[in-house]
Amino acid sequence: MFSKSSARAINGSCGFLVALVAAAAFAQAPVEVSFYYPVAVGGPITKIIDGYAADFEKENPGIKLKPIYSGSYQDSITKALTAFKSGEPPVMSILLSTDMFTLIDEDAIVPFDDLIRTSEDQAWLKSFYAAFMENSRTGGKTWGIPFQRSTIVLYWNKEMFKDAGLDPNRAPANWKETVDYAQKLTKHDGSGRATQWGVQIPSSGFPYWLFQALAVENGVQLMNDAGTQTYYDRPEVIEALQYWVDLSRKYKVHPEGIVDWGTTPKDFFEKKMAMMWTTTGNLTNVKANAKFDFGVAMLPAGKQRGSPTGGGNFYLFKKSTPAQREAALKFIKWATSPQRAAQWGIDTGYVAVRADAWDTPIMKQYVAGFPAAAVARDQLPFAKAELSTHDNQRVTKALNDGLQAALTGTKTPEQAMRDAQRESERLLRSYK
Amino acid sequence: MSHVYASRGAVRGLETMGAWLLGLLWILPLAYAFWTAFHASEYSTRFVLAAPLTLDNFVTAWNAAPFARYFLNTVLLVAMVLAAQLVLVTLAAYAFARYAFPGRGILFALVLVQLMVMPDVLIVENYRTMTALGLKDTILAIGLPYMASAFGIFLLRQTFKSVPRELDEAARMEGCTSLQVLWKVYVPLARPVYLAYALVSVSYHWNNFLWPLIITNSVESRPVTVGLQVFSATDQGVDWSIITAATLLTTAPLLVAFLLFQRQFVASFMRAGIK
Repeated sequence: MFSKSSARAINGSCGFLVALVAAAAFAQAPVEVSFYYPVAVGGPITKIIDGYAADFEKENPGIKLKPIYSGSYQDSITKALTAFKSGEPPVMSILLSTDMFTLIDEDAIVPFDDLIRTSEDQAWLKSFYAAFMENSRTGGKTWGIPFQRSTIVLYWNKEMFKDAGLDPNRAPANWKETVDYAQKLTKHDGSGRATQWGVQIPSSGFPYWLFQALAVENGVQLMNDAGTQTYYDRPEVIEALQYWVDLSRKYKVHPEGIVDWGTTPKDFFEKKMAMMWTTTGNLTNVKANAKFDFGVAMLPAGKQRGSPTGGGNFYLFKKSTPAQREAALKFIKWATSPQRAAQWGIDTGYVAVRADAWDTPIMKQYVAGFPAAAVARDQLPFAKAELSTHDNQRVTKALNDGLQAALTGTKTPEQAMRDAQRESERLLRSYK
Repeated sequence: MSHVYASRGAVRGLETMGAWLLGLLWILPLAYAFWTAFHASEYSTRFVLAAPLTLDNFVTAWNAAPFARYFLNTVLLVAMVLAAQLVLVTLAAYAFARYAFPGRGILFALVLVQLMVMPDVLIVENYRTMTALGLKDTILAIGLPYMASAFGIFLLRQTFKSVPRELDEAARMEGCTSLQVLWKVYVPLARPVYLAYALVSVSYHWNNFLWPLIITNSVESRPVTVGLQVFSATDQGVDWSIITAATLLTTAPLLVAFLLFQRQFVASFMRAGIK
């Protein structure tokens, strides 16, 4: 560790010298800052980002921003790491907060701490919600700045609640109530086939994310802060999975097998289920497409309330000049100012990443007209870091495979979690 | 004798029914795409014959990304790749098929090895090469790694080998040079293979996604597939109406071309033996 960080320091100082010479030679040339960004929600995101870049350049004539749309999150990290390995990475990039350990292991990014000098900068770094910073810090350093972040919330169909004789303005507060409510909300046709489900928790693609909410609610986190250990086979974790499996197999209020993430909102609009768990990033979508009165609530509590955070952070790449890093930081600060964090949240449905964004007039006005928007914020004190470890893709896949095996009934929850833990221990052995 | 024909008729009938069934299964996704793209999103999972038709989805999709430019880029890309492939592949296949030179076996084996390597494995190395050539973020950079096509060389070599030597010799007797023989004897005889190969190549490069996304950064060089990706909003689920409209938009030129030249394509696939 020591030799690595001193090597980094030497690299850094050499880079600084080169940059000084370069800066002297091209004093006139603007600093060019390229950055990759993914698109993960609907709407004209590319246009908003291009607009940001144009506005920022107008205010900062010495900086030339080059926003580069890079596909989905998955495509973006592929593109960023390919560019990094071939010698020309972007100066900064928005990538999943959970990619932090991967990027550190690849030695692709630099921490923000070296650039934070003034007390004003420090205050800025402290302004973000603690829940979002959990996925942005490790080993005492800050590697990511929260930008497009989300959590999981519960959406419910108020009309169905009314039809089932439930209070349409009150969502289930805990796991037991969820089962009670869902039993009243599940309907069958003559042949016993369900025409309406009580609750739906998606399990395709990234079931670990939704499952993590259940685990946190049951009082445990799935990994340690250093990203070197997972706790997949803890009794509380197995219990949480048992609850999810029971929803479909024991109580019959949740569709059996794998529930598709992408079509779950559509099922909600089509009144195929009364309650769905999905990201706050869906808020704008649901608001636009639900043809009925709906409510948004925090996830029901187990032993406690809880949800993982999700979404993307800004990262600074190595192989950039100090001038580029300064310019990038300037843009990141600009893009995460209270005013813009609020506007970005309103435009996209992501959770505005800092408390003072919620005090801005535009946000206050928005929340007054659409109180559901504030639910995600209110849930943040209960939110925990999203599952992220070294060798993240494979360690997460071990859990995903285990979860799907349990949900489809090929393994018992206990067996599935033990197998997943064994696989993750094997993968993480070299990082301890 | 009549019962033999009767059972034949029954088999025929079964075959026809099977073909129709497969055809229906094949067309279903496309039919769904058509239905969804031309209706408002509340009809995307409901089939109501009287549902009002709309073109809004196409307008939204078209405006969500600079598709006009993307189309131009894709057309330039596939045209460029195909032109370069046809020239290179023809010359290489001719040499492998008709010339004896030292190392021919090894060279041809090397070309065949290329068939075994997935292009995705080479992304980092190709990226490095393109950067070294100063071609990053250009249409040429998307196409360059694909221009020397192992599949094309192999396919044409086999075809050229099946051309009777007598024709070759007769042309030479008439005074043709080597290149003239290639142009006047081999190329015309291999036309169905060329057509089939062109279709495979065009549809592959029209649909290629990962490499173009990684090597390009700007609207000026990106193809339609990269533009299409804007609609797969993974955080939010999928808006089927918009995504099917966009898919129809981007695949329409290929679909139309296929329908127009369907007879030729099918015939040439039968003759070329690629299915």
